[in-house]
Amino acid sequence: MSTDNTTPTSDQTPGQTPGQMRIDPPKRSFWRNLSLIWLVPILALVVSLGIAWQTYAARGVSIEISFLNASGVRPGETTIRYRDVVIGTVEEVRFTPDLARVLVTASVDREVADTLPADAQFWVVQPEVSARGITGLSTVLSGVYIETSFTPVADAEARVFTGMDSAPLIREGQKGTRITLRTRDANRISAGAPILFHGIEVGHIETPRLILSSDSVVFDAFIMAPHDRRLSTATRFWDTSGFTVSLGTGGLSLDVGNLAALVTGGIAFDTIFSGGAPLNPGYIFDLFPDETAARQSLFTGVGANAVEMVIEFDGSVNGLAVGSPVRFRGLRVGEVRAIGAVLVDRGSPRGVRLRTTIALDPQALGLPAEAGPEATVAFLREAVDQGLRAQLATSSLFTASLVIELAELPDATPATLEQREDGMIVLPSVKSELPDFTATAEGVLERINALPVEDLMNQAITLMASIEAVVSSDGTRQAPDAALALIEDIRALVGGEDTQALPGELRGGLAEVRGMVEELRLRGAIDKLVTVLESADTIAANTATASGEIPALVADIRGLIARASGVEIETLAAAATRLVESTDRLIGSDEMRALPPALASALAEVSQVLAALREGEAVENVNRTLASTRSAAESVAQAMQSLPELSQRLERLVAQADGLIAAYGARSDFNTEAMQVMREFRDTARAVTQLARAIERNPNSLLIGR
Amino acid sequence: MTPPHSNDGAQILTARQAGLVGCHSCGRVHPMGTARCGRCGAPLHSRMPGSLQKVWAWLFAGMVVYVPANIYPMLLTTSFGRTTENTIIGGVVELMHYGSYGVALIVFVASVLIPVGKFLAIGYLALVVDPRSRLGGRLRQGQDLHRRQHLFEVVEFIGRWSMIDVFVVAILSALVQLDFAATINPGIAAVSFSLSVAFTMLAALSFDPRLIWDAEQDKIS
Repeated sequence: MSTDNTTPTSDQTPGQTPGQMRIDPPKRSFWRNLSLIWLVPILALVVSLGIAWQTYAARGVSIEISFLNASGVRPGETTIRYRDVVIGTVEEVRFTPDLARVLVTASVDREVADTLPADAQFWVVQPEVSARGITGLSTVLSGVYIETSFTPVADAEARVFTGMDSAPLIREGQKGTRITLRTRDANRISAGAPILFHGIEVGHIETPRLILSSDSVVFDAFIMAPHDRRLSTATRFWDTSGFTVSLGTGGLSLDVGNLAALVTGGIAFDTIFSGGAPLNPGYIFDLFPDETAARQSLFTGVGANAVEMVIEFDGSVNGLAVGSPVRFRGLRVGEVRAIGAVLVDRGSPRGVRLRTTIALDPQALGLPAEAGPEATVAFLREAVDQGLRAQLATSSLFTASLVIELAELPDATPATLEQREDGMIVLPSVKSELPDFTATAEGVLERINALPVEDLMNQAITLMASIEAVVSSDGTRQAPDAALALIEDIRALVGGEDTQALPGELRGGLAEVRGMVEELRLRGAIDKLVTVLESADTIAANTATASGEIPALVADIRGLIARASGVEIETLAAAATRLVESTDRLIGSDEMRALPPALASALAEVSQVLAALREGEAVENVNRTLASTRSAAESVAQAMQSLPELSQRLERLVAQADGLIAAYGARSDFNTEAMQVMREFRDTARAVTQLARAIERNPNSLLIGR
Repeated sequence: MTPPHSNDGAQILTARQAGLVGCHSCGRVHPMGTARCGRCGAPLHSRMPGSLQKVWAWLFAGMVVYVPANIYPMLLTTSFGRTTENTIIGGVVELMHYGSYGVALIVFVASVLIPVGKFLAIGYLALVVDPRSRLGGRLRQGQDLHRRQHLFEVVEFIGRWSMIDVFVVAILSALVQLDFAATINPGIAAVSFSLSVAFTMLAALSFDPRLIWDAEQDKIS
């Protein structure tokens, strides 16, 4: 078969001749027989080796991070992340040999590990809830992870790192400026508090810390770019923590910052004036308590390069406090740092002096910003030689607080700026002009003290007691209403046209009365009347003898007389009673409340009337009239004394007339005439009696017609 | 030496001895040396050419990929952000740790015992049937050819069951995709293992069982 020759396989050798059976090179045969299938295991091997190599390459670089505590870090699970991308895994967690720290071994991607600088920051990210928000929420479910932050460097060799206890506020690589702030007390500032520029958050505060060399609190802060360009030596920082309530002439003002600043405290800054110098490394900003202080700080700048010196005062420094300003020509150039008493051993006078430590800002004094303490002291020494002295002054007229004033007194006692061995610089002081004002005030107070205040008070108390008694009495309580009504009546009376016209009429009436009285006196009317009566008596007696009795008439007359007199008294009494009652009602009425205005107007009217009266010389007339009236009244009284006699005589006359009438018969002409006469007599007698009684009761009725 | 005989002891004439070759595809018998089957056109071989070579190649490939299948994680289980990785042996240990001894046994048998057994069995058969191999010659001493055939049948039958692990991983990966709560992904080992199983199955497929019986012919000659 032809195929036998062409396929010299070993299986088919038996039937071939040895010459034909060429010995194929085994090698060649091996290669020819080698199946392509061997590519498969080779490929598998290559792939497996590739995977192995990749795994080995991706295994990363082992680094070691030490933490104070590694809460939640688990080998094999906890990842290391950079910008939230996993770059490695924790492989082992163990302690340092002294058990002081926890060593976390982690494998990190080689390309990342080769850029890790020695100061790379590592921290464990844990869920955190703070005033500024919630962070690390994803770690609640997935567990903690380790975050790193660094500025990549080339060919880094560092493999051992120190972890941080908490997340750094400023990530590596964040652009900005780190500054240092100083304050006296940081109880309103906490780590992470925002730094605001016109209300926009531009930075953070790091943890405040006490510095050992002084009692200040210093903290670092970070201002992010590009806002850090605003920083210069003219920048002032102030505390905006919490809220501010101020009450002033402008009203109540409530100033609240943003919410985060309210809780964690915040700091704001602004560039107060232009022309600030660029920041030097190590420049320390002062933190001011509020914006006002910060803005005023332009004049104090009691800042980094303040020079402390001491002033000793003899007198009281009551009113001076730590923080009180030090002024130079009205400008604030420093502040009081401390006040204390010291025993002065040397010099004279020995004794206790009050030592005030002040801090002076050279810049505020006009010295260059970079002036050191030496330059400031030299400047002050020269100034003291020319008469610069410290003295106390009141900060304002109305407050007791004091300020220290650096006054230029060229004619002061020569003194020098004293620099003691312990470095204390003593600024000479002069006695302040303060006591003058105090003395004046004392004099005023003494005079006030000398016033008989106590007597006055006693009298006032007595008066008050009396007034109280009067006022608390029932009658007084009722008085206002009655007085009001009375005043209303009076006003009506006074305001009435009649009353207004009264003075004239009164004058006329008085004149008439005067005339009448004069006339009465001149004519001796009473005497005449008496004479007439005597004559009548005589006539009557004669008539009686001649004519007998007239009993009925007499009885009539008696009854009439008795009735007349009785009726008058009863009426008067009743009228008086009514008057009293109406007065009572008057007093008890309610309108008395309105008394004061009514009284005022009534008084005004009364005074008008009185003025009118005075003008019309009514008073004088009245006075004169009263004098006349008094004489008239005396006459009347005399006449009244004779009135009983007259009555008796009339009785007798009547009796006689009775007898006469009886003698002449009942219906005679004489009788009629006699009756008329008798009636006239009777009327006359009654009128006289009324007049007499009225005058007796009220002599003034002669004047006022009632 | 006893002539080749069947179980009943009768003398067996092989096709090769008769100078014939059977078609693999349709079974038609041709005279030895015929290149192609006259009926179906398939190439004719008295024995699979390069059979042992292919067996060894597939076997090596299967063993190579079996290494990463055991080193690398089979399952990547992510639950609430935490990812746990399980290798085959790690999974078995973990299952035992949780007390699931039955499941652990199944996984161990399917993923470790069977593949390793297959490697050994195929390697053994390939060695034994190679007349040039000295190691095979030593192993050949006193072996029953029927047991070899039986072993081959078992290997061929059981090969597909090794894929249990791969199926489990594939089904879990497809079903458990609950985003953040739980996610299961196949690891490199899953691919490696399935490749390993496939390679060993191909190795078994490449093995020509007729080679087993050739040993009988060799003994005669």
